[in-house]
Amino acid sequence: MAKEERYDVIIVGAGHNGTTTAAYLAKCGLSVLVLEERPEGGGAQETVEPIAGVRIQPHAIGNYGGSAPGWEQLELWKYGFRMDYDPRYEVPFDTERGPMTREGTLQVAEEDQMGWAKITGLLGEPMFHKELLRATFWTPPHPSYIENDENTIPYMQVFKQYSPDLWTKELLEYTMFDFLDQHIKSEAFKVFQAYIANVSGAFGHFPGVAVPAVECVATVLPPAVAKPVASRGNMHGYYHALFRCAVANGATIRTCCPVEEIIIEHGRAVGVRLRDDATLGNKTIYANKAVISGAHIKPTFLKLIGPKHLDAGFLQKIKDLSLKGGSLYMTHFLTKEQLRYREQYKWPSHESFNGGFYCMENMEIYWKNLECVLGRQSNLDIPPDEAMWGMVGQTNYAESQPQCTREGYYVNGPLWMMVPTPEYNVDGTLAMDNGPADKEKWDQYMVKTLSCIVENADSDNIVKIWSDSPWGQEFRNTGMLGGSWYGTRCDRDEWWNERPTQELARYRVPDIEGLYLCHQSAAHPGGLCLMAVGYNLMHILIEDGICEPGPWWYESPWYIPEEGKISAKPGQGRV
Amino acid sequence: MMEFKGYQHPQSYFPEFPPESEWDVIIIGAGPNGLIAAAYLAKAGLKVALIERRYEIGGGLATEEILFPGYYSNIHAIYHMMVDYMPVLQDFDLGRHGLVWIKPNLQASMVFENGESLLLTRMIEDTADSISKFSIKDAQTFSRTMGRWRTIIREILAPATFIPPMLPIEITMALQKTDVGQELLELVEQSPLDIVTNLFENDKVRAMLLYNICMWGLDPRETGVGLFVALYLDRMMNKCYCQGGSHKMANSLGREIVQAGGVILDSSQVNNIIMEGGKAVGVDLWEGRTLRAKAIISTLDPQTTFVDLVGGENLPVSLKESVEGWKYDKWSLNTLHVVSEEQPKYLPKDQWASESFMTIFGFEGMDQMLEHWDNVVAGKLDTSIMGGHATCESFWDTHLVRVPPDRAHRQVSFFQHHAPYNLEGGWEQKGPEIEEAILQKWAKYAPNMKKENIVMTNQETPVDIEIRFPNMRYGSIKHGDYKPIQLGCFRPNQECSGNATPIPGLYTGGASNYPGGCVLGGSGYLVANKVAEDLGVTKWWKPTKEMEKYTKTYLEG
Repeated sequence: MAKEERYDVIIVGAGHNGTTTAAYLAKCGLSVLVLEERPEGGGAQETVEPIAGVRIQPHAIGNYGGSAPGWEQLELWKYGFRMDYDPRYEVPFDTERGPMTREGTLQVAEEDQMGWAKITGLLGEPMFHKELLRATFWTPPHPSYIENDENTIPYMQVFKQYSPDLWTKELLEYTMFDFLDQHIKSEAFKVFQAYIANVSGAFGHFPGVAVPAVECVATVLPPAVAKPVASRGNMHGYYHALFRCAVANGATIRTCCPVEEIIIEHGRAVGVRLRDDATLGNKTIYANKAVISGAHIKPTFLKLIGPKHLDAGFLQKIKDLSLKGGSLYMTHFLTKEQLRYREQYKWPSHESFNGGFYCMENMEIYWKNLECVLGRQSNLDIPPDEAMWGMVGQTNYAESQPQCTREGYYVNGPLWMMVPTPEYNVDGTLAMDNGPADKEKWDQYMVKTLSCIVENADSDNIVKIWSDSPWGQEFRNTGMLGGSWYGTRCDRDEWWNERPTQELARYRVPDIEGLYLCHQSAAHPGGLCLMAVGYNLMHILIEDGICEPGPWWYESPWYIPEEGKISAKPGQGRV
Repeated sequence: MMEFKGYQHPQSYFPEFPPESEWDVIIIGAGPNGLIAAAYLAKAGLKVALIERRYEIGGGLATEEILFPGYYSNIHAIYHMMVDYMPVLQDFDLGRHGLVWIKPNLQASMVFENGESLLLTRMIEDTADSISKFSIKDAQTFSRTMGRWRTIIREILAPATFIPPMLPIEITMALQKTDVGQELLELVEQSPLDIVTNLFENDKVRAMLLYNICMWGLDPRETGVGLFVALYLDRMMNKCYCQGGSHKMANSLGREIVQAGGVILDSSQVNNIIMEGGKAVGVDLWEGRTLRAKAIISTLDPQTTFVDLVGGENLPVSLKESVEGWKYDKWSLNTLHVVSEEQPKYLPKDQWASESFMTIFGFEGMDQMLEHWDNVVAGKLDTSIMGGHATCESFWDTHLVRVPPDRAHRQVSFFQHHAPYNLEGGWEQKGPEIEEAILQKWAKYAPNMKKENIVMTNQETPVDIEIRFPNMRYGSIKHGDYKPIQLGCFRPNQECSGNATPIPGLYTGGASNYPGGCVLGGSGYLVANKVAEDLGVTKWWKPTKEMEKYTKTYLEG
């Protein structure tokens, strides 16, 4: 019951990044323990069946991770990983798909499609699409003494090598819109792409992150994914493969085991203490080599480590990290008849309801939405016909993987809409979730805005709505503080060598030996279930002599080893 | 403008599980039995693929957020009766995955309208104390009887759960060898109702005991099932709660399988079992993949396995007839899951009724209970006489509630009652009024469960059970009725009850096999033994000491 337990590495949190890290380290032969507080691991990668025969996706939906080295290195296929392809998506764009405006669905001009293909590396010989994605997400930030400029930033190196005409010093100052302006004409299409970037971490209008913002979109479009909803078993199916990879390689993963404290002794992280109600007798567990926090950065420092080990200046920085921007109100609709597009939203090849992105119209609408969500941070007062949102429809799922097996019913969703983050909402944290009547009000708002493109979203047809506000999300999944989907947003001050702060950018914690960070809020490149944080962190753990991977390992081509450390490039030794 | 020249197929981004693969053993269904069989066989060095239709393994071992968002519930199995005896819990160290069992002394209480209550506790004398308020004679009878029955369970019924079934005549001969065995034989021929009324005089005592005995679908008037009376009563006094929810048991077994090299394919429905030359050689999945193996184990119900997957045309006549004559459960369950501001506080002055693992209410006496059950068998529900049992899960388990601080005090409970699958008037139509009646009844026995205390509800009807778990056909939680000709060596029929089937390469080992359902852990263990023997692999496990003693006393010499 209380015999001492020791592992090489303890990871706090079995979300996507904690589990990826566990899989990598277990594959290196280390003994790894992962502690998860929820009844099921997966974090953002989750599926729920709230009534028999109806499955909903409360969080992650699209598989953004297609360019990850993890697919090869961790061999997830061995552990049952499968996709569900839809042949309709076998071109970079579904040419009949486009932004939905108040007028109808717009066709994207071929010229604009080619403009997009150009900046994402799909044109030319060879294509450099995957290289660009890997340079953006799958490479650790450089050591702090390296200057970050047009010659050293990995994605700039890719442009320089493959498409020198795109390689300009100014690109580093651009917003995504600036970049798009040079290659795309349609304002609606630009707003459409920027909106996907917004819900993926890097905003379309943020200067200095043009390429990361573009790549946040490129990684969830073909060919990086075959279809918006692609993994078999949805994102939780992807998680299962990752989790089983970790377990098959010897990792121990325990659920219902909340961590109360990361134990620091003599400036070193030596273990963890579990909360009293953890489903385990022994509440203190030790780590020989490292404790890695896959918990949100704020509770990691403010609670698990705590002020007794940290100074006020550092703690203030952590408190100040922005949670704004990634908070989504998620809604699923159960209906008696399948939803039907209004005439002007039908697409020639598939007239049945398939979701889409609405009110992707112009900069005025864009700013109206963004100003409300980010600027004033009070409750939404956008008229429903001007609200911006995206939605997945039932037909996005493969026929062999129906989301609704309840005869006579259809489930569509989620409809996700960016809303003010509770912690910054001047109307209070409960502002969008203050009792059943309030929830009902916002659910009805979602019905109204859905009705802009759907002709039968009426009360006769809709029999049930499942919705989840950011305030609800952050307590069912504590990794989503503020309900933020990407922890902290990828603005200039919280991206790459600044993510989450300069001193923490290489996943280490100054002055606390043996402590590393792997939560999306604490590590480059952040969220999206990319297996990127784990891969990037591997470079650092190799540098510190924590692990020695086998021949399956390869480092990022843009990785720069830190002086005096063991290089993550095999065979290079100490540099 | 440059020209778009190429397109990399998504396969170059996402390497996938292959379309065709070879295995030693394929197991269909990752419920408790499928998981147990897979865990034993994978650890024996066999290459095992476990296939599950749902997105999550566990079957009835399901702990899910059905009160969305934020509240989890054990939507199916919650009262684990065989934790003390299951070989799988002794052969595997599941504690290292954080599997923890809680066995409260207050196992069940029955609450009456006048504020009286009766307790069924783990410790025999505590129950006797409670019964003594109603009848001193019954208290003494209970005390003496349960002492003997406990021995029967420990020596015979519990170990026999994990040993292949025998013919009734063989059982009779074996049991005659000891006094304990002879006492059990006397019970066998009686009905649950006979046993309870012969032993006990007080109506409320009878009602409480009969409810616990018949709760899992034993027909109170069926003769020939008397051994279950002793078994269920003893086991209903020893139920365990799985901390963190029943799914933890599934999860722990899943980890053992994967760690031993087994592969779990979830979100995969089997389309058909591939037959070649009269042999079962593999399975085709709905998604288009094919897996082939030396042995295929189905843990599904007989009709799904033999008619839907093997195909009627491939079945020997006798097997086909027996499968077609299979009778599904007479009763199913209807469950109302509830989030409330406060934990239900029941009428009795003492707190024990409210702090019991299970609280039975709605029945004032045995006749009313029998009438309710008769209604259920006839496809009816009279809510005025209906009763059932409730558990406040979050009282036992803090992990089930994951909500903001302003609502963190809330509690998750359910009320469950026996119910017909084919309800007169239909569940879709009658569901809402039944839910309303349940809430009214709950408020009558637990006065704080009034409207303003209820935050959210979700009713899972027998039809919902079948939608969620399609091989619990007609809401049959045990995959088939417990009546003498579907029990023991007749479960599912004489040809298949030893886990091999008349079809070479095909094995069965689910709840429709001996010893049955309710997470006994028996069928999965037995089919693993059978397949290990047939494939000629060394068993790394040994029978438990109870099984060894039983074998030595009753089956040898």
